Amino acid sequence: MPPIKIYQVGHIPSPLRRIWNAFTDNPFAFAGFWAICCLILLALFGPLIAPFSAAHQDPQALLLPPSWDPAGTVEHFLGTDDLGRDIFSRLLHGAHLTFGMALAIVATALVIGFVIGSISGMMTGLKSSILSHLLDALLSIPSLLMAILVVAVTGPGLSNVFWAVGIALTPQFVRAIHQAVHEELQKEYVTAARLDGANPLQIFWYVILPNILDTMIIQTTLGISAAILDIAALGFLNLGAQAPSPEWGAMVAQGLDNLLTAPWTVTIPGVAILCCVLAINLVGDGLRSALSPIRH
Amino acid sequence: MARYLARRLNLFFATSLVLFVVMFSVTAKFPVDHTVALTGIHAPTAEEQASINEAYRLDKGQVSQFIAYLEQRLSGNLGISVTSQNPVFNELTAVLSASFELAFVAGAIALLLGIPLGVLASLSKHKITQHTIMAITLTGYSIPVFWLGLSLSLWFGVRLGWLPISGQINLLYEIKPVTGFLLIDILLWDSRYAWSAFVDALQHIVLPAVTLAVLPFTVVVRITRSAMMSIMEKTYIKAAEARGLRTYTIVMRHALPNAFIPVLKNLGLMLGAFASYAIVVEVIFSWPGVGAWLVSGIYQRDYTVIQGGILAVALIIIFLSILIEVLHTAINPLSRKELYAAH
Amino acid sequence: MTELLKRLTLGSVLCCVIPLLAACGPSRVPSGLVYCSEGNPESFNPQLVTSGTTVDATSQQLYDGLVDYDATSGQLVPSLATAWTISDDERVYTFSLRTGVRFHHSNIFTPTRNFNADDVLFSFNRIIDSTHPYHDVAKNGYPYFQSIGFSELIDNIEKVNDYQVAFHLTQKDASFLSNLATGFAVILSQEYGLQLLQADEPELLDKLAIGTGPFRLVDYVKNDFIRYYRNHHYWRLTPDVEQLVFDITPKSTTRLAKLITGDCNISALPKAGELPVVIDKPNLEVDSIPGFNVAFWAFNTERIPFNDVRVRQALAHAVDKENILRAVYHQTAVEAVGLLPPLSWAYSSNKSLIDYNPEKARKLLNDAGISDLSIDIWAMPVARIYNPNTHKTAELIQADLARIGVKVNIVSYDWSVFNQKLSRQNYDSVLIGWNADNSDPDNFFTPILSCASVDSNSNRSRWCAPEFDRILQAAKSTTDRVERTALYQQAEQYVAEQVPMLPFAHATRMVVKQKRVTQSKLTPFGGISFTKVTPAVVAIEEPN
Repeated sequence: MPPIKIYQVGHIPSPLRRIWNAFTDNPFAFAGFWAICCLILLALFGPLIAPFSAAHQDPQALLLPPSWDPAGTVEHFLGTDDLGRDIFSRLLHGAHLTFGMALAIVATALVIGFVIGSISGMMTGLKSSILSHLLDALLSIPSLLMAILVVAVTGPGLSNVFWAVGIALTPQFVRAIHQAVHEELQKEYVTAARLDGANPLQIFWYVILPNILDTMIIQTTLGISAAILDIAALGFLNLGAQAPSPEWGAMVAQGLDNLLTAPWTVTIPGVAILCCVLAINLVGDGLRSALSPIRH
Repeated sequence: MARYLARRLNLFFATSLVLFVVMFSVTAKFPVDHTVALTGIHAPTAEEQASINEAYRLDKGQVSQFIAYLEQRLSGNLGISVTSQNPVFNELTAVLSASFELAFVAGAIALLLGIPLGVLASLSKHKITQHTIMAITLTGYSIPVFWLGLSLSLWFGVRLGWLPISGQINLLYEIKPVTGFLLIDILLWDSRYAWSAFVDALQHIVLPAVTLAVLPFTVVVRITRSAMMSIMEKTYIKAAEARGLRTYTIVMRHALPNAFIPVLKNLGLMLGAFASYAIVVEVIFSWPGVGAWLVSGIYQRDYTVIQGGILAVALIIIFLSILIEVLHTAINPLSRKELYAAH
Repeated sequence: MTELLKRLTLGSVLCCVIPLLAACGPSRVPSGLVYCSEGNPESFNPQLVTSGTTVDATSQQLYDGLVDYDATSGQLVPSLATAWTISDDERVYTFSLRTGVRFHHSNIFTPTRNFNADDVLFSFNRIIDSTHPYHDVAKNGYPYFQSIGFSELIDNIEKVNDYQVAFHLTQKDASFLSNLATGFAVILSQEYGLQLLQADEPELLDKLAIGTGPFRLVDYVKNDFIRYYRNHHYWRLTPDVEQLVFDITPKSTTRLAKLITGDCNISALPKAGELPVVIDKPNLEVDSIPGFNVAFWAFNTERIPFNDVRVRQALAHAVDKENILRAVYHQTAVEAVGLLPPLSWAYSSNKSLIDYNPEKARKLLNDAGISDLSIDIWAMPVARIYNPNTHKTAELIQADLARIGVKVNIVSYDWSVFNQKLSRQNYDSVLIGWNADNSDPDNFFTPILSCASVDSNSNRSRWCAPEFDRILQAAKSTTDRVERTALYQQAEQYVAEQVPMLPFAHATRMVVKQKRVTQSKLTPFGGISFTKVTPAVVAIEEPN
């Protein structure tokens, strides 16, 4: 027999629990969350479940429309491209290139941004001001131009996309974290901790870090969607992943030749990118509103 | 205020200097001969080599080389294009105006449609209207711009045949460049074809401008909406309502000018992304601007063009973002007060 | 509230509608013709190049040659030469020149005299005489003329009088007149050349071109357009269009889209896959003519392992040509059994010696003792008549070769870089082709496979076989067609055995155009001509 509750005990959820509850209350954000989980699984296991290999050419099935078209077949669910390659399989194979690489880039940028940003944020005076000017200069180079600059030095290729987009993203992380740390430093509770005799490391670790986590989370979701769009744009401009690669932006570029006769070779990878970025932005939006009561 | 302006100016120079340092060190890393990367001259003669060495002080130390590099670039010498052998500076000025024209039209579309829609979204009490508008903006924010451009050109250009999808104007109109801005040049053009040329140029700009406007449009709608929502809660709005002013007057006179301040600030933050989008849009619609020029430069490994283009675009962005910041301060008394706070 | 909504809506609607309203005014377009071309010309003097794009933009528009091909009959017809006589030993060709032909004028040049023998001497001596002041102005030489051994062929050119010149040959050459009729053998103005030499700007001769052709060059913006005006003093019938614009549009899809939206009237090189779109549009049509060209995959025979004939044979046997015809050409091309297209009189429809046989390919590779082979295929970044999509072809070959265990890396650069790097000769193999400049079968062998063409870099296989050159020489020194056919068949056989390259297709030459543009004429070889094109644009120009 369960204990009888005589007094109504108000269960006070932990802050994390509160964020989670607020987040799941938003159905769109929650849908986006599941979509991202699926995408991560696809990026990991997509190649295993794809019916064909990314390079498999079927000369008997050139430019087949998707299966819902009367001329399409179920065998090639999303149709085929001009070399008879199955678009569905290529999307699955490309997921870890576009989405997976975006995650990897953002993770790297986050770590670097966190280290540099927090160190510089804790600094004051001339050093800090020099760094913020440097960041301003780097940020004033649009990500695509930065990527062009990297490609100019290293030549096009998938591995260079990592560097190009990474170098373009890192300053944003550094700056966001730098500013967040800097803002927190001005607040009274930090001064109080300092008066209590906490050393800078303690102040950073126990006082500031918990309060800049939300900035980092939001910056990460923004960073992932920006990274996906940049990777795809580079692939589209032929500066990133090169032709036979099933990277989604490169697939759009390869489909460009058939834009007029077989629009699905462009539309389907484009929709895939759109869905992916949309899911991330939904989650980002949901997180932002879930976090906002704490932020203010 | 003067002190503030001086500080912003200082910021501009410092940032530009850093940019030049970055470009200088990258130039040394280009996988070509250093002289070609600097000047674009292929296989220079002994004489030319000597004058290059002198101009860029290649025999001196890094610092001295950097100063020489800075002198050359600031005096407008961006070298000659590796492929076309024309001065990069001339090519740059020829393409910049087309980009500005496109950016201006796109920005105008974004503001003229975005602000009313943002106000609408903030005032509307219908959940459906609100959700629709937010869904549209979120999609607009997530859409890959190259795909949007292709889809628009496929539908409006090829399927429906309403609008041209490539280039700036029908090439049969031979317009003499006066200001460099095509739409203005056409109006200055003394010809019986001027009016139809103007219409033709307008038709050509519609699709690229709309594609490019999508990103700033969504940002403007979102920011206007959230700014309006918080402003409409303010006591001075309540007071105005209590005095019996019409909603129209309240919005136009009291709310909107204040809502415009955060919009302006965010426009400044968005410049980099906007430039990235503009490059892709110019490539898709074969718009003869800086972006298409730069991308063809990278395809041809035209290192002087890449340098010149990136320098110019980044400098413009630095300048504009500082300008917007100054404007923001000028129209926003609150931030002026913060100016002298400790930071 | 509602009032506010109304105003907001009205404002937004106005913003959208004004541009549309503006579009409703009467549209008047200046008389002219826009041709969507596939790329930038490399120069404005076709003597210096072999690329079809440059020939299209220059030869037929800006210049004339001494003799010409009749587009319909394929016979040689007079052009700047009104008549010619051939000496009995077939070694002296004497041309009588046309009188009263004026050169173009431009901002920097106004001709003071008409075309005469000096211009002919100037134009050809520039190529053959290495002491000529203009000889070295061409940085990359004269590739076509070098590939056919022109300088060795011409002993000297003699000015008989102002309107007569005689070409003295060192040996008999049945293809000499055909070579003069190509788009490369154009006549430049000597007077302009001397003027530029005095001004110390000789390189302008090939940039700000002056010729006698139906159009004169007005403006060129790289990657954008070339503008020509009609030459009012043209010695033939002056063209119907006042203005000709080449809209440089490298992407085939964009070219077609521009044609659909009316930004251009004629569009070059449609992809075969796009033809259904053209057929669907009531105002567009396709002009096509069997091509005089060949697309091939050339192996750099100076490199290991391509110097081994077994490796070349193996690679050739591994390629499924029919698959390429289907996927790249959409069956608008015929399979190549050799270099000569079916249109040529020396063609013979023997079955190809190089069939699709992966088994055999594997065995040949084994015999050569090669495993784990990894090669580069260079794919042209641009569409050409003979191959509308080289990159796709390369991807197909990549998949074919994977089947025999050969790894392929596809290399591509922007066209100008590609060309430069190609002439530096450090490639494994390249997908390229040849578009004939005249109907003589020799044009398919000497310029691309002879020893002379190795030096001029037009021999992409870098293959030199003296035995093969002897066959070609023998074929040139006779005018008997039966004998020549037999010799060219022997040459084909030789190529099939040695496989310096794998020819795979002869493409159909096509342009798409608006139906109201009439009387454009395609020729199977050489450039495109707009002299007789009548655009109906002129007629609808004034609606009132």
